[in-house]
Amino acid sequence: MNDEELITAVRESFSGVHSATPVEQIVGRSRGLRVRRQVPRLISALAVAAGAAAAVAALLPASHQVNSGGPARLAAWTVQRDPGGTIKVTIRELRDAAGLQARLRADGVPANVVFLHHSFTPTTSTSAIPRSCRAPHISDKTNARLQDRIMPFPGPAALGPNSVVLVINPSAIPARIGLFIEAFAASPGTTTGDVFSLQTNLVQASLPCTGS
Amino acid sequence: MGVGTQRLDFTDFYRESRDDCLRAVLVSVGNRDTAQELVDEAFARACSRWRTVSRHPAPMAWVVRTALNANISRWRRRRREVSVPDPGTVADLPAVYGASDSPVDPRIMAALLRLPPRQRQVVAMRLFLDLDTARTAHMLGIAPSSVKSHLARAIAALRDDLTRTRQQESSP
Repeated sequence: MNDEELITAVRESFSGVHSATPVEQIVGRSRGLRVRRQVPRLISALAVAAGAAAAVAALLPASHQVNSGGPARLAAWTVQRDPGGTIKVTIRELRDAAGLQARLRADGVPANVVFLHHSFTPTTSTSAIPRSCRAPHISDKTNARLQDRIMPFPGPAALGPNSVVLVINPSAIPARIGLFIEAFAASPGTTTGDVFSLQTNLVQASLPCTGS
Repeated sequence: MGVGTQRLDFTDFYRESRDDCLRAVLVSVGNRDTAQELVDEAFARACSRWRTVSRHPAPMAWVVRTALNANISRWRRRRREVSVPDPGTVADLPAVYGASDSPVDPRIMAALLRLPPRQRQVVAMRLFLDLDTARTAHMLGIAPSSVKSHLARAIAALRDDLTRTRQQESSP
């Protein structure tokens, strides 16, 4: 079998794969994305009106108090606790990682938060965690199961065009375990960097890593 | 460009490219249901910013890249060491990629899934989206020489895999 025959065979083997999703469903789904994107665009408009990047920080504090109600105003990131104790972190801008880390620690989530301002390819290597942190001595399978309990996948809402959502269940975090949370700009096909991605891992909670 | 015209353009684009994008993502992620969900989400994002995406030099590649980026986040959040199960270690191959009713030749699908992720991405871009080497390199953020190398290795591996499979099937 030469290259052309092989390529043809591979292509033809997929010829029966068809997407059955109606365009109306895609368009309807996109409307929800547009609504969620209005806020960052408004923020950009405010930034231009203020005429200086420094003014943005003054208008839009990075942190936000945890409370049982909805966010009073949108910021670089918000942390909300629902009545059941679950914490929802929404990141809209990669700004003030230290503030988010402190906010989470105050709410019982030992974490090391890193914001990367460039796109990169996530790896599964333990070297991906900060040097100040140590990986817990647990198997990969246990790690994955524990992350599933601590950070249940929020479904399609996890990734928005301009935000990423992480749900944390603090009561599921064992003693001496912390979270490593790394948000970064992923730029699919563009250089605008306006799509966020997130990777998480477990670390040993410690003063140099999670601050407690 | 009016809203009506934009909608028409996106609808045409979607209808013409959705199958190719689904196939490209399916090759990369290995699971039909996951691929469908990722592609639908990526097309929704494309629709929501169609004015920008429509000016992209390769809108189909934009959709596939967006879908694959979303998939990276999905599996990375769970810190799984591999993005798809190793078909060689799974007894029920159709269950690996949700292909109980899949029209894809299971031998070819299994051979594709045994390729390293980057090689599968290159195969997806080059074979199913018909992107040239330069555009594929740009979309994947790697050098053109790496694209050629990945593709050559992928084709060699697929040939070896399929030849071995056929020999095993034909042996008594």
